[in-house]
Amino acid sequence: MPGFPPTGTEQRRSFLKYLLGGSFIAWLVAVLYPVFAYLKPPKVGEVEVSSIKVGKVNDFSPNSGKVVRFGNKPAIIIRKPDGSFAAFTAICTHLACTVQYRPDLGLIWCACHNGKYDLNGKNIAGPPPRPLEPYKVILKGDDIYITREA
Amino acid sequence: MDAFHTKRRKNIFLLLKRLLSILAATFLTILSSSHTYAVAHQRTIQDQCYACHQAMGDKPGSLYGRDIHHKIGITCAGCHGGDATAEDPEIAMSKKAGFVGVPTGNAVSEMCARCHDNAEFMKSYNPLLPAGQYAQLKGSVHGRASTVANEMVAQCTSCHGVHEIAKVTTPASPVYPTNVVRTCARCHSDPTYMKKYNPALRVDQFELYKTSVHGRRNMEGDPKVAECASCHGSHDILPAKDPRSHVYPINIPETCAKCHSNEKYMKPYHLPTNQYEEYVSSVHGVALLKKHDTGAPACNSCHGNHGAVPPGVQSVSNVCGVCHTLNAQLFEGSPHKKAFDQRKLPECEVCHGNHGVQHPTDAMLGVGEGSVCSRCHTLGDTSSGYQVAKVMRLMIDSLTNRQGLAERLLKEAEQKGMEVSEAFYNLRGARQSLMEARTAVHAFDLATFKDPLDKGMKIANQAVLDGESAIHEYYFRRWGLGISTLIITVLAFGLFLRIRQADREWREKQRRM
Amino acid sequence: MANQRFSQRLYRWLDDRYQLDDLLHLVGKKYVPLHHHSLWYYFGGVTLFLFGIQVVTGILLLLYYKPSASEAFESIQFIMSKVQFGWLIRSVHSWSANLMILSAFIHMFSTYFTRAYRSPRELTWVSGVLMFFLVLGAGFSGYLLPWNELAFFATRVGTDIAGQIPIIGKPILEFLRGGEDVSGATLSRFFGFHVAIIPALITTLLVLHLAFIQRQGMSVPLGMEHVEVPEEKRLPFFPNFMLRDLLLWLIVLNVLAILAVFFPWELGKKADPFASAPAGIRPEWYFLFMFQTLKFIPSKIFSLDGEVIGILLFGVAGVLWVLVPFLDTKSSRGIKVRGMTYIGIFIVMYMIAFTILGYIL
Repeated sequence: MPGFPPTGTEQRRSFLKYLLGGSFIAWLVAVLYPVFAYLKPPKVGEVEVSSIKVGKVNDFSPNSGKVVRFGNKPAIIIRKPDGSFAAFTAICTHLACTVQYRPDLGLIWCACHNGKYDLNGKNIAGPPPRPLEPYKVILKGDDIYITREA
Repeated sequence: MDAFHTKRRKNIFLLLKRLLSILAATFLTILSSSHTYAVAHQRTIQDQCYACHQAMGDKPGSLYGRDIHHKIGITCAGCHGGDATAEDPEIAMSKKAGFVGVPTGNAVSEMCARCHDNAEFMKSYNPLLPAGQYAQLKGSVHGRASTVANEMVAQCTSCHGVHEIAKVTTPASPVYPTNVVRTCARCHSDPTYMKKYNPALRVDQFELYKTSVHGRRNMEGDPKVAECASCHGSHDILPAKDPRSHVYPINIPETCAKCHSNEKYMKPYHLPTNQYEEYVSSVHGVALLKKHDTGAPACNSCHGNHGAVPPGVQSVSNVCGVCHTLNAQLFEGSPHKKAFDQRKLPECEVCHGNHGVQHPTDAMLGVGEGSVCSRCHTLGDTSSGYQVAKVMRLMIDSLTNRQGLAERLLKEAEQKGMEVSEAFYNLRGARQSLMEARTAVHAFDLATFKDPLDKGMKIANQAVLDGESAIHEYYFRRWGLGISTLIITVLAFGLFLRIRQADREWREKQRRM
Repeated sequence: MANQRFSQRLYRWLDDRYQLDDLLHLVGKKYVPLHHHSLWYYFGGVTLFLFGIQVVTGILLLLYYKPSASEAFESIQFIMSKVQFGWLIRSVHSWSANLMILSAFIHMFSTYFTRAYRSPRELTWVSGVLMFFLVLGAGFSGYLLPWNELAFFATRVGTDIAGQIPIIGKPILEFLRGGEDVSGATLSRFFGFHVAIIPALITTLLVLHLAFIQRQGMSVPLGMEHVEVPEEKRLPFFPNFMLRDLLLWLIVLNVLAILAVFFPWELGKKADPFASAPAGIRPEWYFLFMFQTLKFIPSKIFSLDGEVIGILLFGVAGVLWVLVPFLDTKSSRGIKVRGMTYIGIFIVMYMIAFTILGYIL
């Protein structure tokens, strides 16, 4: 039978064939595994709504407020009883807790030490020494944007 | 001239008077050289104006004898102008002699200022007397225009009197410490009058003052205690809202300390004098005096203004609670309120101190060394205080540690280039929980305390997980790269050998062709 | 053994239907000439490989990317942090884009200096240069997609420059931006360009470009072909040259992985259209030499706007570059025009120098 017993060259050939084949399969796995893992949707599932566009005008009823993420810091957007919007940093000027809107009090409140701010961000009661830094609210059609004062 | 007042009589009379004047002047000069009042100029011994008016018995005439100006030899002409040497009223009170009559409005104070604003001149009478009061008055709130006519609200004479001006250091003066309160109250307790200037200004200061310690002692005749001028100033009074005022919040501690930090001054009262020192280094002091935060309390915020009195033992939490509402509320619902009041312990002050109150730290909580709870609570006491304190401290410590761990891990991950901004953002919640927990301590009840703590722990634990997985991911990537590179190297080697083989075959084929 | 039999059976099945034998025979006939400059032959293949990488990683990114102003940045943050191996796909895509442009530059200039554009390969050159411009456009449009601060302002500046072209500038600007200013509409547009239009155009030209090469074979550098390349001085494309290609591509792939792990592509800050531009805005390196040139031109040249002159000059230069084969007709006759070499060297030096200047100034 030609090729039997296998010569040196033929031996080398089959070694090479296995080396090439084996490493190719390993390579294929190393490439395809990340691709398939990538395709699997992560647990969180969805991207969070951005901090700059806060939502739609109809999402907010008068005398309501919401804390949103603005970059890496929290911001609070409120809709006053008269329907107009205002936005401020949600970082309390006392010791940097996150403030919230209290519809029952009709003002912005800090849970840590009972600090209170009026709807213009001015500190009116409790330990906060300064008003909340205001942000600009821009209404484009139905969408609400907040931006740092340029 | 009439039958009596003949020219000859007049001349003789005048001559006699002149001789007498010279004699008396010489006599008095010798006498006065040892007097504290040095005389630099010729003095009229006989104030003809006064002589006449006193004889007439009118108000100025009867009062002026007691006046300090009269005693040092200033005649009526000194303020009214004219010729004090002249007996004849027509000469004495003539325009030619410079008589101005009764000055009105600002002319009054300007008249006083002619001497009193001249430092050189005043030194010749009393080197210790200040000068420049008129300038101060003009710049003060009393220097503003009054509602009648074009003059200042107050003239010098409004407070010092007119013809019976006494040295301010004598009880006869209306501005002597025991009198000044009533002098100020003449206007400041009159609502109808004050309404014309500032309808929002209170008019009960005097009434309040009477209830205060300062007021009571002042009524008893003590000139050392604080009265209106001690705090508000005398000539340079400014509204409390004016940053230059002695009673502007940032200036108040210093104003009170003028007396209250003076050991010698306060000795007879047996009061401590370290309050200012303590206050300056306290949280409130630093906030007010260094950071200029006028929301921070000065002495009057806790002690009151005119009705100043240290708060009673059972009212301490009310006073502190004016600003620290949440803590006060929790305290008042806590078992400590009844316990402290029963033992006459001054509530907030027991743990936090009063004037020297510092930033509270976690070290104050618990039963370890330096804790305030252990001052009363010991192992085995009947209340559950010891246990509660111990557990509270343990819980707060564990959250602080967990949060610290999370921060370290996330920082490390961030340094390694991993995206952890969202985890940092969420970790803020742990910090907030710690703050809320530290406030919740004041309920001295584990159930209330656990709420924010559990919330915070959950957040911190999640952040620790996020940090760990981020760091793990970092290493995983490097390992993954290493393994992939290994595989690729082997495959590349295999390819290389295959290329060599193909080249060999090609060369052979070429040779055969 | 079993594989071989299977592959043999598969071959038989396909051959019966599509006459594979003829095709394979053709493939076997392809040769690659061997000479001093054979190394440059690889760069076309590397560019092709990187294009393939872009398509694959791009498709994967498409599965998670959200092309709207309020979600784009966050979707990339999501890919980088939450999606498994998302960091790898995204960093590879960004790195490969830059390497591809670099490789295309090298490929283009190597064909220029070897006069590969001469007859009969004029259209190969033209399709190549057009592809190059399209690739730059893909780079420009792709750069905006993360909607971060740097990209936002770089796009604003870049489209501003386009808008400076006289007469047609404004329509071009509005076409590019989808409006008067850079906004969410711009992002949508650029997304369309980057993901569909430009890849489609590139693919069309690429097919032509490869077809031309297949038909005409590899060009030999001018000056070498007066001696017919002998048989021993050439290599069969398949399998010899192709294996070499594969090896090089494998190494390039490894390089991309190393870059992705050790130098992950940054995301920066989210774009805020209402904020002012940060200092030192500049385009990516492959546009920098043009940007720096415009900065150097004086604002007025003989009462004409300096910037417009600069833009027009670059436009003219681009057109001339496309038409190089028709300008250097002498090369078709085998004459090496020294001037072309010098022009080429000047262009390369100029680009390098001004790119460096763009970074240090």
